[in-house]
Amino acid sequence: MIESQRHSYHLVDPSPWPISGSLGALATTVGGVMYMHSFQGGARLLSLGLIFILYTMFVWWRDVLRESTLEGHHTKVVQLGLRYGFILFIVSEVMFFFAFFWASSHSSLAPTVEIGGIWPPKGIGVLDPWEIPFLNTPILLSSGAAVTWAHHAILAGKEKRAVYALVATVFLALVFTGFQGMEYYQAPFTISDSIYGSTFFLATGFHGFHVIIGTLFLIICGIRQYLGHLTKEHHVGFEAAAWYWHFVDVVRLFPFVSIYWWGGI
Amino acid sequence: MWRRLLTSQLKTLATAPCRSASKTVPLPFKSNVSSSPFSYLLTRHFSASSAASAVKKTVEDVMPIATGHEREELEVELQGKKILEDVNNPVGPFGTKEAPAVVKSYYDKRIVGCPGGEGEDEHDIVWFWLEKGKPHECSVCSQYFVVSRSI
Repeated sequence: MIESQRHSYHLVDPSPWPISGSLGALATTVGGVMYMHSFQGGARLLSLGLIFILYTMFVWWRDVLRESTLEGHHTKVVQLGLRYGFILFIVSEVMFFFAFFWASSHSSLAPTVEIGGIWPPKGIGVLDPWEIPFLNTPILLSSGAAVTWAHHAILAGKEKRAVYALVATVFLALVFTGFQGMEYYQAPFTISDSIYGSTFFLATGFHGFHVIIGTLFLIICGIRQYLGHLTKEHHVGFEAAAWYWHFVDVVRLFPFVSIYWWGGI
Repeated sequence: MWRRLLTSQLKTLATAPCRSASKTVPLPFKSNVSSSPFSYLLTRHFSASSAASAVKKTVEDVMPIATGHEREELEVELQGKKILEDVNNPVGPFGTKEAPAVVKSYYDKRIVGCPGGEGEDEHDIVWFWLEKGKPHECSVCSQYFVVSRSI
């Protein structure tokens, strides 16, 4: 009972997932370095680490769902704390992207003599910003609108429509990822092609990675909505996914303007 | 956001000299509830609880799948109170030697903060341990406190 617990907070039971996640991270980083320097067993250790991390994420968040929806530990203050925490996480991700845009601006605003003193560097065949990038940007924006639709459906108690809206969001997200992947495949330059390639692929690549993570988060929300976990009073997980998705959306606009459009002229 | 933070801060205080117990805790700090996402969350929460208590609702009407602590919190909210309110949000007149301010605790001592009297008599919060059998007087405004064990 909450009376005997004497507070409304959630003191989590001991769990193995933090240590297993840490070991997975260790394996990933060490394996990654080994792989990049062509040591034997590097690729194997890297893959093992990544699988371990993914497994830890699955079981950890499954436990969170169990503690909240099935055991009812997430009182109002706990929900508030989770919201704050997630917003701070998104802020930290914004800082992460800020670094890459700074790097891109650093190199593009004062192009060095090694690349010809011009931007884009001599010999780089830039992608036309008005083709796929211009198509992808509104696709992502519409998926943002769809996730807002889903949120309103949840708040109004229209459970089936919320599922449909989430399906629409995920569909648009997958279309975006598909187009972006196709563009990567067909790009005339690679990550090793001068500082242009480095900054381009790092910024857009990490953005794409975040899109994939966000898509996965939304798929999970869709499944939970279908199973009836989310109620109009309490759907912190969905709110977090929606915020993350909007963040991904907004971040997309920055590279479109600065890297694709301005960087290509 | 700030109002919520301050509310939770104030909840650990033995406060409210001459303040009547009410559903929405009145605060000395006037918050600037701007157009932040949190104000939306706050207003949603408060309006839901006041609407719920106006029409006698059960937990089943509001959130049927609620369980555990969340359910208890919701049940208490529907009756118009806040969970653990009597222990954590003490209200009452300014404590004097004859009629001390009673602070409830599950233990024999509790950390208490005194913000002073109403309006002009407010001062910066003074924090102290309040122990059973040792009534404490605030060093600034001399408000008198006594701890009472509640199981």
